[in-house]
Amino acid sequence: MSHAVELRGIVKRFGTFVANDCVDLVVKAGEIHAIVGENGAGKTTLMNVLFGLLQPDGGEILIDGKPIVVANPRAAIAAGLGMVHQHFKLVPSLTVAENVFLGMERGRAGFVDHKAQIAETERLSRDFGLKVDPTEQVGLLSVGIEQRIEILKVLARGARIIILDEPTAVLTPQESRELFQTLRGFVAQGMTVIFITHHLEEVMAVSDTVTVLRLGRKVDTRPTADVTKNDLVQMMVGRSVSFDRRQREPSTGGTVLSVKDLWCRDDRGLPAVRGVSFDVRAGEVVGIAGVAGNGQTELAEVLSGLRPASHGTFRIHGEDLTAASPRRIRDTGVAHVPGDRVVRGVDRQSSIAANILMGRQDTPPWARGSLIDWAVVRERSSEMMERFDVRASGPDALVKSLSGGNMQKVVLAREFSHDADFLLVDQPTRGVDIGATESIHNEIMRQRADGRAILLISVQLDELIALADRILVMFNGLIMGELPGDSVSEEALGLLMAGVQTGPDRAAVA
Amino acid sequence: MEVLERLINVAMLVATIRTTAPILLVALGGSFTTKAGIFNIGLEGQMLVGAFFAVIGSIFTGSAWLGVLCGVTAAVTFALIFVVLVVSFRANEVVVGLALNILAGGMTISLMKAIFGTRGSIVGHGIVGLKPVHIPGASDLGVFGQLVSGYTPLVYVAFAMVPILIVFYQRTRLGLHIRVVGEKPEAAEAQGLSITRIRYIASLLCGVLAGLAGAHLSLGYITMFTENMSSGRGFMAVAILIFSNGDPLKVLAGCLLFGFSDALALRLQTFGFPSYLVLTVPYLVALAALFALAYRSRPRIVRETVDSMKRLMRIEGPPDAGAGRRNES
Amino acid sequence: MSETLRPVIGQAIAIFIALALGTVVIMVVGESPILVFATLLEGAFGSTERIAGTLLQTTPILVCGIAACISFRGGLFNIGVEGQLFMGGFAAVIVGIYLPLPAGLHMLVGILVAMLAGMAWIAIPAFFRARYNANEVVSTILSNYVAVLLTSYFTIFLFKRPGGWSETAPILPSAYLPELFSFSRLNWGLIIGLALAVAVQLYFRHTSRGYSVSIMGQNLKFAEYGGVDIKRHIFLVLLASGAVGGLAGGIEALGVHHRFMEGFAPGFGFDGVIAALLANGNPIGTIGAALFFGALRSGSLLLEVDTNASREIITVIQALIILSVSAQILMRRRGDSTAAERRWKF
Repeated sequence: MSHAVELRGIVKRFGTFVANDCVDLVVKAGEIHAIVGENGAGKTTLMNVLFGLLQPDGGEILIDGKPIVVANPRAAIAAGLGMVHQHFKLVPSLTVAENVFLGMERGRAGFVDHKAQIAETERLSRDFGLKVDPTEQVGLLSVGIEQRIEILKVLARGARIIILDEPTAVLTPQESRELFQTLRGFVAQGMTVIFITHHLEEVMAVSDTVTVLRLGRKVDTRPTADVTKNDLVQMMVGRSVSFDRRQREPSTGGTVLSVKDLWCRDDRGLPAVRGVSFDVRAGEVVGIAGVAGNGQTELAEVLSGLRPASHGTFRIHGEDLTAASPRRIRDTGVAHVPGDRVVRGVDRQSSIAANILMGRQDTPPWARGSLIDWAVVRERSSEMMERFDVRASGPDALVKSLSGGNMQKVVLAREFSHDADFLLVDQPTRGVDIGATESIHNEIMRQRADGRAILLISVQLDELIALADRILVMFNGLIMGELPGDSVSEEALGLLMAGVQTGPDRAAVA
Repeated sequence: MEVLERLINVAMLVATIRTTAPILLVALGGSFTTKAGIFNIGLEGQMLVGAFFAVIGSIFTGSAWLGVLCGVTAAVTFALIFVVLVVSFRANEVVVGLALNILAGGMTISLMKAIFGTRGSIVGHGIVGLKPVHIPGASDLGVFGQLVSGYTPLVYVAFAMVPILIVFYQRTRLGLHIRVVGEKPEAAEAQGLSITRIRYIASLLCGVLAGLAGAHLSLGYITMFTENMSSGRGFMAVAILIFSNGDPLKVLAGCLLFGFSDALALRLQTFGFPSYLVLTVPYLVALAALFALAYRSRPRIVRETVDSMKRLMRIEGPPDAGAGRRNES
Repeated sequence: MSETLRPVIGQAIAIFIALALGTVVIMVVGESPILVFATLLEGAFGSTERIAGTLLQTTPILVCGIAACISFRGGLFNIGVEGQLFMGGFAAVIVGIYLPLPAGLHMLVGILVAMLAGMAWIAIPAFFRARYNANEVVSTILSNYVAVLLTSYFTIFLFKRPGGWSETAPILPSAYLPELFSFSRLNWGLIIGLALAVAVQLYFRHTSRGYSVSIMGQNLKFAEYGGVDIKRHIFLVLLASGAVGGLAGGIEALGVHHRFMEGFAPGFGFDGVIAALLANGNPIGTIGAALFFGALRSGSLLLEVDTNASREIITVIQALIILSVSAQILMRRRGDSTAAERRWKF
């Protein structure tokens, strides 16, 4: 069997961070090749290098045995590659056929031949078993169908080697099964499929060969038939988990946050959180795990008053705050470390002091009457910068001059110093280096010891396992189950995150 | 009596068509930039330089159509400056648009003074206006004939542009790409389409129509140029564009509304209503429409009732059944 | 130091480029650039009276500029300062004529009513912007036209001075804003404008609400997250901006014209908006920009006497300055974010 793709010694650095460290990868023609690894293992980077979206700092790419330079996606497409990205790039107001042929429209003299495009889309759709209606408007279709369109786009451009980045992240289990059937069909027609995932079930179910990446390096490539899920977990996680579980005193107090049958919708008006209920008690860290985009962000936004709930209630210290303003919620004792810190967490144009002032500009000693006491603001900011180890020239330094980790520490400094009883912490260490991560984790544990109720949302399982007393797993807007933090396995978490029901309780609802 | 009433109605319709044409042309021009995702507040200035240079061209060449060409060229030049600053230099659209409007006002008056030594307006000086088109046989058609015949050519161009633009956005590659760039730039980028190039083209096309609008104002609508003669039509066009989202048919509807209120204003004036009050009508209509539309498109909170939850649960089920069918086919 | 100096240098370069382009325009119009610029300088600063004349022109531009600055700080564009000026001026004149009060108090009431009128005139666009996100750029521009037509109507049809021509009766002397010198109509309005610029600057820097508004203007989502009531603040910022616009009208009415007439203020509102843009929304910087534009205006009066050039040549120069300033990277800070947001939020 010949090699469809061969990568030799690919190196890719972002500043000092090495995303791919001398990675070799061989993909045989006509196979389904799974690439697995934890978040940040370098899977997407590697595929972006292959597809010409990133230029490697070293190494060689061979397609069908011939070395080529993939300067941009156009070159990759010309070489027979096609990539389906995690975030779809479809135009809602155009039809399916128009989207499929965007940028390579059929027709003459500047006019688009809609008939030809529809016919060709239909033909592709039939040949590859990807059922779509070419005349439908994309904005009205479900995510699963959107993915089919993205795949059709790739096929219409004549791809024989298809790369899919986390294709099942947005799909229901049923849709995922259909997708795998389609992929099987592709290899039956002599095409090659590479897909990135971190769901081991999928790897076992569909792939011929699996490559495991860890921390930017390749661990191994094996025929899927020769490995078990446990082998893969071992390879993905390595011998040691990145973070050890933190020691803790059992210190559970009274209920602080109580969520009852809470629903909300996303920006498109579709249900994002669908009836979740849970409590968080004082001195407890409750983790929320889940693949990004399963309603966690929306849940955090509802709890901080930034998004209206469409049904249900949440209470803090028994007070119903479901329809309260962000101001009111803050005043009741909620601090919020937002997931998108650059957008919501800081104002990059302002100084550190001005950022730390936010939310307390009306309260003494920061302000006297309606006048801000900048001397106090600076002084307190300096103290906090020291305590939270924010590295900058001083409280007047602009936030945009800080690194991601220091920026996040500014957010934590502000939020954790509010003396709030409930801390809503969303992705506290995303994009933060390892040293800063350690100190952020220390701070969260210190807050726990001080008797705060903490809701920790994270896509990093090791972080949850290190910090959380209980872990709730969200999938598709629902809480799939609860696992105790001290005896949880990544595998059990992974199953729930993939939407696989274990308990009988929820199955009855669906 | 009845005949008289009908005549008034026809006259009113004719007046509406006449007053609609200039704003329709400039709004359709703005449709290109709106669709391409550019907020173009500079339409007013493009229209004004179009009107001025059309008159200049007409005087110096003795040809109305060469005058129109001059007007269009001037407006396109303004459109080019706009797009260079906004797209290539990433300057703020509102700031650049306003500055170009001010530039157009100052420049036309300065040049008028320099060339004709007068202020206020250019009348006579041998301006050649566009001749009305009399459709052969229209006089036999009675009322309908009066409706369709006897306008200056750019009125026909304005109304013809509506179906042309509909076809343009739906059937042509460029039209499609302009829509994509405005709606989802990352989709265009992913397919190797140059966002910059498409925005440039959209802005220049906008300049062409805005220039025609201006030329129509000074050579067709009336045959003279006066200071700031676009008198806010460009801004009303922007208001229309906001609530039509640049869709040609909706643009037409909005422009007819303004044309009608304009015509009504003129008519009310002849009945002795003070012109100052009557002239506010189109602006008030524009404001009312802007506010009404903002109110209508307010974000509505969708409540999760027991009913809608039940429906959701039911929707959860069927995909399996649907998928089964799909697999068989 | 360099952080504060850089924008100033950038602005200076932009003005230089604009003046170079303006030179070209002047030559196109068929005048000698040297003569034009010399005449402008002479007209603006040639004598004590002329300097006073320049300051007289500067005053309304400055106050209108501050009005625009207030809205810019909150990330909003009040382009309707001209309309607020007209409404404010007209309201002040009505008070000046029909509400006899003791001297001083009369003037203060007139100023206050002018501010209320400006505020009232922006209230509806402000409400729809705050509550339903209706584009304030377009609504405030359109309301300018209505304001000018409406005040003209009132002046000519309801309050016309008997025997006069499209102007109201003069106001009572008790409502006059006192003049500063005997040789010029230059009045306390200038002092009010300067004090207001400093006050607004201090307000944004040192008060809680000023801080909240500044942050909202720079990063709306952050402000919302931090508990700032966005809708309320948008409404209040626009009202404040409108009130200052009305103040500009009151100063012109009670300090300069002492009556209302058609064509009450030839584009001071727009000049103010441009001055504020040039100063990047900084009230103190607006003082300089307003002085510059005031000098151009004042100089342009002599320009029409001494040369054949039209005084509108100065609006050309102003527009060129804004264009070259907008193009430079230093301006991007505010420009980029608002342009990007604005694209989707009509």
